[in-house]
Amino acid sequence: MKQPLVSTLFDFIASRIPLHKLDVRHMITEKEVPVHRMSWGYYVGGLALFFFIIQVFTGMMLLFYYEPTVSEAHESVEYITHFVTMGALIRNLHAWSASFMIFCVIAHMLSALAMKAFAKPREITWIAGVLLLLITFGFGFTGYLLPWNQIAVNATKVGLASIDQMGQYLPAALSHLAEDVRVTIQGAPAIGQATLSRFFALHVVILPLMIFGVIGLHVLSVQLHGMSPGIEDKPRRKDKFFPIFILKDFKEWGIAFLVLFILSLCLPFDSLFPYPLLEPYNALGSTPDGIKPEWYFYFVYYPMELLPFWVIIVVMTFATLGLFAAPWIFKGTSHKTMRWIASAIAAYMIVMTLFGENIYHAIKG
Amino acid sequence: MLNTFLLLLTFLIAGSSFAYPEFQRFSQNNSGRPINCAMCHANGDGPEGASRGQIGSLTPDELNKLNAARSAFAPGVPIQSPILNAFGNNIITVIGKTKFLELRAHPEQLAEVYGYQSDLDSDGIADAQEYLEGTHTLNNVHGNPMKLFLHNLKTFRLHVILIVLATIAGFYGFSHLLNGFAASSNTKSSVERYP
Amino acid sequence: MLELFAFVGLPYAAILICVAGTVWRFRNDQYGISSLSSQFLEGKKLLWGSAPWHIGILIIFLGHFIAFLMPGVWQRLMAVPLLLALAEMTGIAATVMCLLGLIVLFYRRLTSARLQKSTHIGDFIVTALLLAQVGLGLMVAGGYRWGASWSTGTLTPYIWSLITFSPEISVIRDMPIVIQAHVVGAWLILLVLPFTRLIHMVSVPLQYLFRSPQKVVWNNPRRNNQAVAARVTQESRRHFLKAAFGLSAAGLLLSVGVLDKLGRFFQMPGLHHDEEANLLETRLRRLQLTAEEKELELERLRSDYIYVAKLAELNGTVGKYFIDYSMRPGLAFRAEDGWPMLLSAKCTHLGCTVGNQVDASGRILCPCHVSYFDIKTGMPNEGAPAKAPLDRIAWVVRDEQGNEVATESPRGSRTGRLDPTLAEGYSLFIVRSLSAEA
Repeated sequence: MKQPLVSTLFDFIASRIPLHKLDVRHMITEKEVPVHRMSWGYYVGGLALFFFIIQVFTGMMLLFYYEPTVSEAHESVEYITHFVTMGALIRNLHAWSASFMIFCVIAHMLSALAMKAFAKPREITWIAGVLLLLITFGFGFTGYLLPWNQIAVNATKVGLASIDQMGQYLPAALSHLAEDVRVTIQGAPAIGQATLSRFFALHVVILPLMIFGVIGLHVLSVQLHGMSPGIEDKPRRKDKFFPIFILKDFKEWGIAFLVLFILSLCLPFDSLFPYPLLEPYNALGSTPDGIKPEWYFYFVYYPMELLPFWVIIVVMTFATLGLFAAPWIFKGTSHKTMRWIASAIAAYMIVMTLFGENIYHAIKG
Repeated sequence: MLNTFLLLLTFLIAGSSFAYPEFQRFSQNNSGRPINCAMCHANGDGPEGASRGQIGSLTPDELNKLNAARSAFAPGVPIQSPILNAFGNNIITVIGKTKFLELRAHPEQLAEVYGYQSDLDSDGIADAQEYLEGTHTLNNVHGNPMKLFLHNLKTFRLHVILIVLATIAGFYGFSHLLNGFAASSNTKSSVERYP
Repeated sequence: MLELFAFVGLPYAAILICVAGTVWRFRNDQYGISSLSSQFLEGKKLLWGSAPWHIGILIIFLGHFIAFLMPGVWQRLMAVPLLLALAEMTGIAATVMCLLGLIVLFYRRLTSARLQKSTHIGDFIVTALLLAQVGLGLMVAGGYRWGASWSTGTLTPYIWSLITFSPEISVIRDMPIVIQAHVVGAWLILLVLPFTRLIHMVSVPLQYLFRSPQKVVWNNPRRNNQAVAARVTQESRRHFLKAAFGLSAAGLLLSVGVLDKLGRFFQMPGLHHDEEANLLETRLRRLQLTAEEKELELERLRSDYIYVAKLAELNGTVGKYFIDYSMRPGLAFRAEDGWPMLLSAKCTHLGCTVGNQVDASGRILCPCHVSYFDIKTGMPNEGAPAKAPLDRIAWVVRDEQGNEVATESPRGSRTGRLDPTLAEGYSLFIVRSLSAEA
């Protein structure tokens, strides 16, 4: 007998968001975390959360001095770096922690993929996770513009111009659509104050609101469903989530903070760029050498340099859709195959991030 | 008014002509890092033009200083050329204009002749070294990342020691908290273990 | 006279009585040398009172003794501002711990009838003395800051003068009354020490803190289970105590090493007025640049012709940047035939600004993704990331009188003629009516 659609929908929601489990005892004292060779994957998400917390605090501190206007943005960032007591430390914390956070989010996604953690009933957790990944990239992209120096503005310009490129694949009557989209994002035909205002609003208000909501959903559904088993075999043992797992998490956060703090104290993020790129953006001069996006966009940036643009669009569209649909695409896939798939993606990301530039030069000569 | 302004602007965007590009070219090739005129000049686009730190914008007083700097042929004359930055001025002061002009044929010798004592931004890397490595001599958060890291590690050693100690103490605390919880949750099973 | 008694007579009397009394206690009442534990009468409040008090007072004792015994070393350490702050903060934190512990203990004595049975008048005296002494210590720390530093030059010599039997009270005589009271309090406590439960200090039961629980074996299974359970509870408590130690130490170190920095982030950086002036100047320049850009924009909205350059200024090797009607950079060259060539400098690949240096084969380079554009045609090189040519920009040349002598449309069709002999007077303009948008 076929069920009516509405009741199927209710069943789906009821099993995905089991609100009857929503009591503290169930979520905290009874929740258990399996221990096995993949259990490192359980910690990476917590680590990403830790770096996000650092981002929230350092970000709020930077807001005390940052001024989001084209004439003041660069000077205010310089002021933070060179004149505010420990301003350089706070700014470095924000920059390093951003990189670490993105690394952890990607590693978390790959480990979840490898553990088949999206399997029923955890589809909503997974989809919230993919959204978090996209929002995190959004943070990276919008935050990169805010210092308003040469590399920031020019890299953003290049990133946004790739939207224009899509126009060439649209039918002639719609070909201006891509440019319209870019101009709407920029807020003006050329990148300028309107763009800065928009990116600032996105970076400090809209994306944070979104990420808080989605993190809430993500963490709540993790707590409701418990950790995914991760492997086919029985785990070696199970740890109580509270207090054992939480405390182990805290220990890891301690190490993470130690590394982050020493790095931020001693290694200025700016020293990784050639200095002409750190000068204030000059709308009327030529673009300096060495404009590149941040390392976490290399995996799409270098292929974009090498391959025809339509290939990138097709692959990226399918990859994104595939990520969202993973729970249904890989429904019957074995854990072992999932580990292979995740390793392949990880290998690709590592190779492109570390050697993308060499590959680019090797091919382009 | 508008015309003078436009004239100013056309100077401003003319840019990228430089006075002694041999040194910039050498530094760039030697380090593999792109650099620009801001290594020695007040303006990143070099001395020619009409914006700040360029010849077209100088006041009579600044022109006097520029002329004084241009005639500092012997070493040891303190100069304050408005088109140079502190590093540029210091090069002329330390080695003198005559020697500097000679070095145009051998830009790689500038570091040796200038010497490794001066560190204008006190980031722990000598100006001459930063010249060879294509990093900024006047920005203390810019330098060879490894050297900068080691220097700052030494500068902030007290803080580093404190945070390492804090982490060790926190680890000790969390480990014992873990053991404590493990012990207290074992109460039942221990009772069964010692019948 | 009173001073002489308080700072010389009292100390010697106290030391004498303390030594004699302790010897007497050991001879006559050896088993009484204990703290008269009341743990079996009441345990919970005891833990919350006794532990903070003892941890706190041990830390404070350590601080005082190092300052008195090794003033040289201590002084050198305290010369480091961070260590001084650390010492003061540790001291104050420990004092607050002591005070809270004492208050809990005092409250416990006051509210439990069971305890009052084994409470003597001496206990109240001791508690009152200790409370007063700790309170005075806190007042000294709060009112006369950096005691860790100044005490080595004042109180340490006084103590040493007593020990070397050459009492010297000149330093202490002029000190604030609170500090004097704190010193007198110390002698009073020493005085009563042998006759109260404070005597347990001399047996220093430090091992209480970390000893493993005693193992008691019972034959009765029920009692045995209870004993094992108690032992395990004790064991976990031992771990929790260590955990509390570790975490509070970590918190303290963090607050000194990290949080102090974060706090100072919000203070106004004290800049020299020269620095302030330089900063302001840089900011002003940036504002001016922005204003200039806005003026350019306004001009492009208002005027039908925009001046680019004198024709004579242009050449074919270095392009001259200008801003076109849509506020994008353009490049002006002059071809060998003497006619101007105006190209958009916006790369047709991803919109970087193309460089203005023409290479040997007559091309300009976009540095972002390495496309070479021929300046004559605007075409990119074979295999370049950019596929479309750079847009041509229409222009008008006027002579000195302002008459149009030549124009070029966006498609490249030219009208008029240029007279090389008059070239000095020619000026180049871009025209709204001919620009791509129009």
